[in-house]
Amino acid sequence: MSLLELREVDAAYGAVQALRGVSLSVARGEIVALLGANGAGKSTTLRAISGLLRPAGGTILFDGQPIGGLHPERVVRLGIAHVPEGRRVFPGLSVRENILLGASNRRASRAEMAQDASAMFALFPDLVRFADAPGWTLSGGQQQMLALARGLMAKPTLLLLDEPSLGLAPLIVQQVFRIIRQIRETGTTVLLVEQNARVALSIADRGYVLETGRLAVSGAPAELWNNEEVRAAYLGGRVAKAG
Amino acid sequence: MSIALQLLFTGIGIGAVYALVALGFVLIYRATNVVNFAQGQFAMLGAFGMVITTEGLGLPYWLGILLTLAAMALFGALFNLGVYYPLRHRSFLPVVISTIGASILLTNGVLATYGPEPATLPGLTDLPGLNFGGLFLDSQYLAIIAITLVLVVLQYLFFERTLLGKKLQATSQDKEMASLLGIPVAGMIMLTFVYSAVLGGIAGILVAPILFVSVGLGAQIALKAFAASIIGGFGDIPGAIAGGLAIGVIETFGAFYISVPYKDAYAFVLLFAFLLLRPQGLFGEKVSQKA
Repeated sequence: MSLLELREVDAAYGAVQALRGVSLSVARGEIVALLGANGAGKSTTLRAISGLLRPAGGTILFDGQPIGGLHPERVVRLGIAHVPEGRRVFPGLSVRENILLGASNRRASRAEMAQDASAMFALFPDLVRFADAPGWTLSGGQQQMLALARGLMAKPTLLLLDEPSLGLAPLIVQQVFRIIRQIRETGTTVLLVEQNARVALSIADRGYVLETGRLAVSGAPAELWNNEEVRAAYLGGRVAKAG
Repeated sequence: MSIALQLLFTGIGIGAVYALVALGFVLIYRATNVVNFAQGQFAMLGAFGMVITTEGLGLPYWLGILLTLAAMALFGALFNLGVYYPLRHRSFLPVVISTIGASILLTNGVLATYGPEPATLPGLTDLPGLNFGGLFLDSQYLAIIAITLVLVVLQYLFFERTLLGKKLQATSQDKEMASLLGIPVAGMIMLTFVYSAVLGGIAGILVAPILFVSVGLGAQIALKAFAASIIGGFGDIPGAIAGGLAIGVIETFGAFYISVPYKDAYAFVLLFAFLLLRPQGLFGEKVSQKA
């Protein structure tokens, strides 16, 4: 059974239809990439899963249980952590406080939380020397690390990542994706939204491509990447031979 | 010199009351991004709570305080449920109008049940106060300053040292993100309203013995407190406290050295000066500097 399954999910922002009958599934332990151009509905799909947006139709199953329309506070308690686009670090709280608040979805003792926070600082050593600095002072890459650490503090079964590479230097992007791979190795399932299809497909087990709210194609990373039609139409790659 | 010190002491005392009401403005603004124009009426209700429990029912002063604060906490919860919660997904203006409506309702509700006659209330203690050379420290003003100081310290420790305080801060900085982390946002806002109502109630209880308790009390304090929060940089907690104290001191000095009838105008002279010369307030940063 899939860990996450979307069946014919519709969603809208007011009168604007954002998702039309999207069906996809994520198996336990997978990294699945959700690709597509700007405005294709990638972020909307994540928002529907995490409860920020109530789906207008269809079913969302997590571990076999319907979760569509549940409040975000309840969804995260079930084990789905959503690291939204733009990192959304709390600017006025310190790095350590941002990390600690990531555990708000579970009942953890203070000692347990401090221990988990130390584990995060071990996973993201760049954050250690900023532990007591306010969130707004961090660079984009550091904020992305912090957003990931805060998401992992929830001890999620499923991690939803929205555009983790956005606005980061190539070297930092590699670092972030190395960590995403590590996260999966610890048993966390990842649904990854990316505009940077090349990087996303390099670590994904499978990929889905959305086009204006509809599912266009899906398949193995190599299949998607080597399909020139797909690449030209949806992934922003040029038809010219990739070097 | 001793006159100036005497005025300073009195000004800080009344300024502390403005600061408490201004804190209520700021805390609710930070949690909900709207201004609660009924904040001054919270102080008016607190003062009337004392009049009703001690003068009306004849209860001892301390019991009157406890009952009034308990009633204010309950009132804050009901205020949230009735005035803010149904409109929480709407924009700034509908909520603000809703709080103005609540303010009018409260003023006229008290007017209809209690009447326009102002009441008086004895001070917190019978102690005569302290004499320092030529300086007389009135016991009620001392109590106001001491209680405000303790409240401000406790509030600081709560926001900076406890996890719940951090969750409240997170809620005020980014509600959507807070709910994604599992922080109960509606509960955090409820807590803010309850605390702000209690703060307003405390301000009312403290100020009742030095002013007449009447339905006009709320508007009188609210305008000064609102000016105080703007002078401090709206949304800034230390700014609200500094702004409240500044207004209290300036109006006391102005009343003594310039003119008593214009006492209520000095706060607004200060407010205009700030709006013209330093619109971001004492501690406010320019919008462009915000991350």
